[in-house]
Amino acid sequence: MLAIETHGLTRYFDGKAAVQDLSLVVEEGAFYGFLGPNGAGKSTTMKLLTGLLAPSSGRSSVLGHDLSDPKAALAVRRMVGVVPDGLSLFERLTGLEQLRLHGQLYGLGRAEAARRAEELLVAMELTGDAGKLVGDYSHGMKKKLALAGALIHGPKLLFLDEPFEGIDAVAVSGIRRMLQQLVQGGQMTIFLTSHVLEVVERLVTHVGIIQRGQLVAQGTLESLRGAGTLEEVFIRTIGEDVKERRLSWLSEPGETGE
Amino acid sequence: MTALRDTPLAAFTELRLRLTWRRLLGRRGIGELVAKVIAYLLLLPIGLVAAVGIGAGAYHAARGVRGGGVQGDIQVTAMFLGIWQAWTAASLAMQEQESLDLRRYLVYPLRPGMLWLHGQVAGLLGDPLALFWCVLLGGGLVGAALGRFGSWLLPLALLFLLFALATVAWLALIQEAGARVLRRARLKSVLFALFYVASALVAVVVAGFGKSKPSVRDLLAVFEVVQWVGWPGAMAAGAGRRLFHGDLVAALPWMTALAASTAAAGWASFRLALSEARDGGGAGTSTKGQGLGAVLGRIWPGPGGALLEREVTFLSRHPLPLVLSIILPAVAGLIAWKLQPYIPADSGEVVRALPILGVALYVHLATQSFWLNGFGWERGGARLYFLAPVRLEAVLVAKNLSVAALALGIELVAVALMVLAGGWPPAWALAGTLALHLGAAPWFFALGNAVAILNPRVAPLTLQRSGTLPALSALAGMLIFSAVAALFALPVLLALKLDLGWLLPPAWTLLGLGGGLLWWRSLPLASRLLAARREELLAAVTGDEA
Repeated sequence: MLAIETHGLTRYFDGKAAVQDLSLVVEEGAFYGFLGPNGAGKSTTMKLLTGLLAPSSGRSSVLGHDLSDPKAALAVRRMVGVVPDGLSLFERLTGLEQLRLHGQLYGLGRAEAARRAEELLVAMELTGDAGKLVGDYSHGMKKKLALAGALIHGPKLLFLDEPFEGIDAVAVSGIRRMLQQLVQGGQMTIFLTSHVLEVVERLVTHVGIIQRGQLVAQGTLESLRGAGTLEEVFIRTIGEDVKERRLSWLSEPGETGE
Repeated sequence: MTALRDTPLAAFTELRLRLTWRRLLGRRGIGELVAKVIAYLLLLPIGLVAAVGIGAGAYHAARGVRGGGVQGDIQVTAMFLGIWQAWTAASLAMQEQESLDLRRYLVYPLRPGMLWLHGQVAGLLGDPLALFWCVLLGGGLVGAALGRFGSWLLPLALLFLLFALATVAWLALIQEAGARVLRRARLKSVLFALFYVASALVAVVVAGFGKSKPSVRDLLAVFEVVQWVGWPGAMAAGAGRRLFHGDLVAALPWMTALAASTAAAGWASFRLALSEARDGGGAGTSTKGQGLGAVLGRIWPGPGGALLEREVTFLSRHPLPLVLSIILPAVAGLIAWKLQPYIPADSGEVVRALPILGVALYVHLATQSFWLNGFGWERGGARLYFLAPVRLEAVLVAKNLSVAALALGIELVAVALMVLAGGWPPAWALAGTLALHLGAAPWFFALGNAVAILNPRVAPLTLQRSGTLPALSALAGMLIFSAVAALFALPVLLALKLDLGWLLPPAWTLLGLGGGLLWWRSLPLASRLLAARREELLAAVTGDEA
């Protein structure tokens, strides 16, 4: 069965296509890395797949359910965990409250949600900050808390938008291992966007590359990468080069901005 | 001229003007701009009409009280008390988008004091209500001039100016100190309890000294002595009464104290704002224990209980409910104590009960930011409503029920203080104030939900800097409040004609049932609207505008 399937998925903003005619195929049990330069449409695609945005046209199905059917969309939400761009945290709750209430909103009983919240806080090394308001967490702590929230109800499919952005190397390593275990154990499918290509390369089994709203490459990591690295494939596929530019007031020794 | 234009302060002013201009002309700003223009157009004539009333009071006070006059004293005191409390309550609840977040600008080589002053002035200029209050004060000055023209008008004008500055400085201090102190949950609860318990204890001890049974009026007399500490308007009223009596020398100490307290409040609020900004705006916030929200969450299991728990927890951690819980009952008690006794005995029982009935609606007005901009504080959390498998009706129900509980709590404390200060009203008036409060709530929430969904705007999690309601929502709130108040005033006309207060509780209960039906029926529509407007809502509360 396919975890995600889209046909001609399109979304316009003010007449401009952010995602155009997108046809994604993500197999169940895959660790799918969705890559693209800034503004390519990665986050928009993820928002379309999680119901935060409505498509202008096209069709998408998640875990076998057509998202255009409201009842099916509600059923999908129960089986999906999301760490969206910008996270989904209430700043005036403590970390522990956030996780417990998050679990309850996904249908867990209060006691079970509290138990899982405690366990997740330990796993994310946030136990010492469990009583602090989320608004006072650092960016990295918020990322870890959001990931914990996405896992608390045991989803079959996990959407992660830039999960490693702003997190230190040790935490990245810990989260990477946890995600790998989840996929390898056959417990879930993960759909991930990230700019950190080295990390993605070590994690994913499948890759899709989007540019200017259109899917320009898709396949298994091995088939796309061949003998090179993911970064080489990415730059070759995107086909953009950075020109060297100098700033007039900083190019000569001794010059200032006056 | 060129040198002045090239200063960093000029650049800062240009930056703020450009940001304001772009915001007002942006996709979501046009509505705000229109609302602001309408607010000015509406408030100016209303202000002029109200200024005529205040001017008439000042006219009579100026003509009749040289050498004494209780009626004139009441008019002068009522003018300062009324303007101060309305200015304070409105400013705490409404938006001042032109005010400034010091944190964003500390990076520039500008003096923080100048930045802070800039923010205060911009906040004042961008607030249509500030013009309204100044027009009222102008009315008082013109009335006094017509009543008794002379050199005493100069110190009176200076007093009005000082009073306006004192109110602004005091507001800034309430916002800064409130936000700082109230961030700690336990301290907040302790302060809340201390305010009432300590006030009552001090009053009992002092007023009861030497007497076996102190009366409530004795207790309140103590508050009269210490009220100067509590609000700057009291100092202005003290000076004003003496000026109207023609006693400039006696007024001078009060005016000096007012000026000193203004300077002190301004300085203290600036230091607090600066310290807050340098702390990063939220360092060290912590909260322990489980409050009322957790209790409610246990009573109502499942996602619905979780939503209600979240809402109640949020309200208990936001400083505004606490400030309103202190200020509104205190003002209600003050009205019952100071003003109610002057309602003529032969004016009928309905007229005499108007203050206690009015409080029922006033509480809804004061808490309007929570039912008119219910999603304004969600930040990223708002995404969860659309990601989690929860019914959007349940989200709206949880929001409305939590605000209803807050408003009812304030109403009950306010009524209790009014009874304590003004004596027992007729039983129908007690039943009426509750029926009016509970009956009007579903009307406000049904209409407020639509405004909250159609015009959401990110709101601050603290009291200081920027307010909680966009101008367009404030205008919509004004219309909703007026319409609902007019609807519930219809039975009052009949009750006044027959002088039969007992008509009101059943009539308002019936209207309330109608409102409840409207609210219940509106929920599916509101939730469909919420689903359809999710992109705009999320963009407003979680996106760039946040």
